[in-house]
Amino acid sequence: MHEGGKDKTVGRRTFIRNGVQISIAVGLGGIATLVATKAGGDEFVWQLDPSKCTQCGRCANSCVKSPSAVKCVHVYAMCGYCDLCGGYFLPETKILDTAAEHQLCPTKAIKRTFIEDPFFQYTIEEDLCIGCGKCVKGCDAFGNGSLQLQVRQNLCDNCNECAIARNCPSDAYSRVPADKPYLLNGFGKEKPDIT
Amino acid sequence: MTGTDNIMKETKSTEQTIQLLRKIAVISGVVAFILCILIIANYIQVKRVDPLNTPAMSVMLERLKSNPGDDALRTEIRELDLLSRKAFFTSQWQIRTGGYILLVCLLVVIICMKWTEMIQPKIPPLPEEVKENFWELRKINQRWVIYTGIFLVTGSLVLAFLTYKEIGKTLQGQAASSVLAVDSSAINPAMDQETNLSQSDQQAPDQSQYAGNPSDSDGTIPDVTTDHTTISGTGTPSGDHQPASSSSAAISAQQYPSRQEVTGNAITFRGPDGNGVAYGKNFPVSWNGATGANIKWKAQLRLPGYNSPIVWKNRVFLSGASATKREVYCFNADTGEFVWLTDVSAVPGTPATAPKVDRETGLAAPTMTTDGQRVYAIFATGDLVALDMTGKIVWSKNLGIPQNHYGHSSSLIMYRNLLIVQWDQSKGASVKAFDGATGDLVWNTPRNVRVSWASPVLVNTGNRMELILAADPCVASYDPATGKERWKLDCIFGEVGPSVAYANGMVFATNEYAKTVAIKLGSPPQVSWETTDYMSDIPSPVANDKYLFLVTSYGAIVCYDAKTGEEYWVRELDDNTYASPVLVDDRIYLMDKAGVMHIFKADKVFASIGEPALGEGSVCTPAFSNGRIYIRGDQNLYCIGK
Amino acid sequence: MDLGKKNRTSHRKRKPVKKGIALAVLTLLFAWQMASTYAIQRFPKPEFESGYITPETLLPTPRAEILEVMDVAVLLMALSLVTWAVLKRRSRNLVFWISVFSLAYFGFYREGCVCSIGAIQNVTLALSSGSYIIPWTVLAFFMAPLVFTLAFGRTFCAGVCPFGAFQDLISWRPQKIGPQLNAVLGVIPYIYLALAVLYAATKTDFIICRYDPFVGIFRFDATFGMFLFAGVLLLSGIFIARPYCRFLCPYGVLLNWISRFSRHHMTITPSVCIQCRLCEDSCPYECIEKPVTVKNPDSRQTTLKKFILAILLMPFFMLLGGWTGSQLHESLALVNGKVWMANELLHPEKDASQPETIEMTAFKASGKPASELYAEAAEIIREFYIGGWIVGGFIGLTIGGLLAGRLMTRYRTDFEPNRGTCFSCVRCMDYCPIKS
Repeated sequence: MHEGGKDKTVGRRTFIRNGVQISIAVGLGGIATLVATKAGGDEFVWQLDPSKCTQCGRCANSCVKSPSAVKCVHVYAMCGYCDLCGGYFLPETKILDTAAEHQLCPTKAIKRTFIEDPFFQYTIEEDLCIGCGKCVKGCDAFGNGSLQLQVRQNLCDNCNECAIARNCPSDAYSRVPADKPYLLNGFGKEKPDIT
Repeated sequence: MTGTDNIMKETKSTEQTIQLLRKIAVISGVVAFILCILIIANYIQVKRVDPLNTPAMSVMLERLKSNPGDDALRTEIRELDLLSRKAFFTSQWQIRTGGYILLVCLLVVIICMKWTEMIQPKIPPLPEEVKENFWELRKINQRWVIYTGIFLVTGSLVLAFLTYKEIGKTLQGQAASSVLAVDSSAINPAMDQETNLSQSDQQAPDQSQYAGNPSDSDGTIPDVTTDHTTISGTGTPSGDHQPASSSSAAISAQQYPSRQEVTGNAITFRGPDGNGVAYGKNFPVSWNGATGANIKWKAQLRLPGYNSPIVWKNRVFLSGASATKREVYCFNADTGEFVWLTDVSAVPGTPATAPKVDRETGLAAPTMTTDGQRVYAIFATGDLVALDMTGKIVWSKNLGIPQNHYGHSSSLIMYRNLLIVQWDQSKGASVKAFDGATGDLVWNTPRNVRVSWASPVLVNTGNRMELILAADPCVASYDPATGKERWKLDCIFGEVGPSVAYANGMVFATNEYAKTVAIKLGSPPQVSWETTDYMSDIPSPVANDKYLFLVTSYGAIVCYDAKTGEEYWVRELDDNTYASPVLVDDRIYLMDKAGVMHIFKADKVFASIGEPALGEGSVCTPAFSNGRIYIRGDQNLYCIGK
Repeated sequence: MDLGKKNRTSHRKRKPVKKGIALAVLTLLFAWQMASTYAIQRFPKPEFESGYITPETLLPTPRAEILEVMDVAVLLMALSLVTWAVLKRRSRNLVFWISVFSLAYFGFYREGCVCSIGAIQNVTLALSSGSYIIPWTVLAFFMAPLVFTLAFGRTFCAGVCPFGAFQDLISWRPQKIGPQLNAVLGVIPYIYLALAVLYAATKTDFIICRYDPFVGIFRFDATFGMFLFAGVLLLSGIFIARPYCRFLCPYGVLLNWISRFSRHHMTITPSVCIQCRLCEDSCPYECIEKPVTVKNPDSRQTTLKKFILAILLMPFFMLLGGWTGSQLHESLALVNGKVWMANELLHPEKDASQPETIEMTAFKASGKPASELYAEAAEIIREFYIGGWIVGGFIGLTIGGLLAGRLMTRYRTDFEPNRGTCFSCVRCMDYCPIKS
């Protein structure tokens, strides 16, 4: 009789276990289906919108990586090739040369090369750029805005929750489709170079 | 050799290996520990003194600015720069390399430990039998779960009690109240009977004053006169902005000046409508600052500012600002006596340090305005203040530091009881209207434009009032009562400084590097003609119904046919002109930078009427009121006339 | 005042002197450009005479999508392999090496990002937000371990999760921590899970990712605070085995409950337990349930009564918890950026000497009316009020459940792993003398 009772208990346990197993399976399936309706094949990456960016300088320090995955990108097609470049020189610079005391960039990551009078090409040396956005601010204020901050996708870890996005005061960060990973102004729309 | 020997030998060698592994592990561990300390120290050091942003460097750069010839200082800066960059990159390299070595060391430790575990003879020791009572343990566990629960509940409640501020409710209240305010000012036509009555009471005298205004009906500029008559007509017919203005008037229950008062005084930058047209007759055409001829009075100004004076009855108002101070001045228009001065530096929310502005803009570029009850001033710090006629601050607020690299310069203008602010910034441009009496935001319309330095123009374009604003990339018109955008035309770009001109259904906009464009109003407004021959960088154009007068900052005056764009004449002045021309009494008054007023007929051929000199430079547009001209010079305020 | 704009032409060498055809042409070209791009073009692009060709702006692409698919494939392979190693091969060595591989791949190579633990938040966000599109890979990372656990127990923890693998490596001198600490710390994962779901659902923050102590180590980069947290956790991990897994991991809560009802689960002995007690101390995670030989001092009746009482009290626990949570909703909501900003605007800091925060400046510059922000913040706070009830209720349920669970009588004659907490690390099998 005692033996029979034990069997019963075991039977009941197995029954409960099976029941719970099935309900968990159904529950998981349910959640998966529900989420799957909102799932997309597209991967997303983080990017910042330069038209919202206020160049507060937080991109340099907020990134989980150091140096930051955010770098200054030069859209040459938009550049005015100015002799007096607002992104290169400190404000009120009178002598336009490459001396350290005239340069805005704290790491001297912008290379200024002479093209023809009076035009100069400015090139960002990405290894040196820390993404502080000082040159971007200068170019925005006194130039064409051809220097823009962007998340360099080869450097970005694509964190689940972007630490810079959280720290960005002007909500410039968003997830963008991985096949269009850059949000540069004046780029990829109509061809800006008309010559 | 016996088996025991073998085992002994094996154990011995195992023992040796373990000893060795232990030693390696200990050494690696110690190295890892030292590295760890070094990395942390490096990290803290770089965090503490950011080598790329040292105060020493900024001090030296500042010194160089004041003394550009100091070559020793230059060398010093270069050396420091090189050093600091080296420090930055070296420390980055150190942290990274240190990290890798640390990882390798830890790996060695782990491998040694695992190895030891693996080769150590596995003789599981039989654990001591501990008499632990299963049920007793469970009870303890249970009890502690209960303790945790109690702790969580009390902890949360204490925290909630300490931090609870009813933010949710306050916010809901705040949001609801401001929505209500916007509702009632913009949409809600169902005001109660009484307010509607009082409103029509208020409007009635205005209209009569208007219609019976002789100086208006015999006005010299016919199209403007027609505007006036239509204005008085718009009081009653239900235009789309009618309910809005009635209810907003009801909110602050105040009167706004009649058209006669508006044109009789100088209440806004560039004439009462802001379009460069002033009213009245018999303004002087000759004076001499050096001899004092025809100069009624002259008063010294305390703080600099590029705003023009405004005049209400026998009072003249202007503002001035320095990096630390902002002031509003009031003078007696008849005597030049200083009446009052109000320090408005302590507006709540004002930035601790004034924003960096261009020397040629300054911190007090926007001209003030008035509704006859209060005067309003705005500064490049974003401070907006309302003072009553005795100089007492009625309300004040900070709109945020304008994101404007030269400095905010757009002047204020009144529409009835609404104070309109053109708030074009590099990010988040908008146009805002505040209730003059209370300072409450009545409407706010975001503008998809870039930063501009132009001022609003508020004109009656036939059957409605239009607030016309210019900025890169468009000229746009808004309903001044509700802020609703009526039309917009992409036609200018760049750093737009000049405001638009308006006359006879035509709007004229210009900007250097862009073009000069004439827009014919209608549905839709269209570009009637455009030119790139002359464009203005700073002065705004002015027009009457036949001609457009364009002045460039380098001192060229051009007269165009308003309808066709045909160029009638060009005259080049010796000096630059920053002030805008004003059309009054069929003449144009144009002040050049040297302080010489160029007065000429607003006609198809150039005919100079006079070129009186002030005796000091001026970059401000003059104000015209009651037969007198008020000019802000570089140092002094002048009243010219009798 | 027009004067605002400084005459900048003087800064340019090629200043057009007054007017000229060149300028007119440039301006026209420039107007064309303006229409085609939304860019600031103060200075037209020069026409070079030297034949200079504008360099192209290089835009490196993100990690290829195929590699993301590979991540899922590696995950499934690792899961299958480790399950086989646990249930069929019963080999600690194999499990160890698989965990080393996972640590290298998911940890150091993938830098801890795409992880099943964090995926909880993405799934929550996908369920609560209409606009968020969750990538398939993330959904796969969330579901696969759960499905495997339902079938085979927590083999994911044993050898796939890089966090677990890391801690497993360094647990050298595990100590028992006693029933008191176990009880108290055991509640934390439930709270963490509830808060993570709350913050993800309200689109506030991904706290699991933000306070993840391991990713910093994987990528050699973190804030000082997080490194400190990681250091403390790892050092304590030498003596308290797998502290994150046992007392923090929110995903572990799900795995724990699913594992209790799993179809199969590893056993200490392959056949019959001979009560040799060799495995008794082998588990560093205190997951081996010893035989219960002593009789329950409480009578069956009393236990039943207590059990029924606990079940009946459950709604009370939930209500109490929910109410407490709802009281705390404001503090919880202040983590949200919008609520923080609204609060800051409403109750500005008294200290005027402090410079304005960048957020405040940016908000003011945005031109967004405060009323709009207030309305949004009020709505978020309302969400948090409801969320507070749910989170509190859940924690109440947890505590009630933990109490009721401890009342269930289960006599055991053999040494068995606790199905909920066992990580299937297979250490105990090494100690079992029975090998087949």
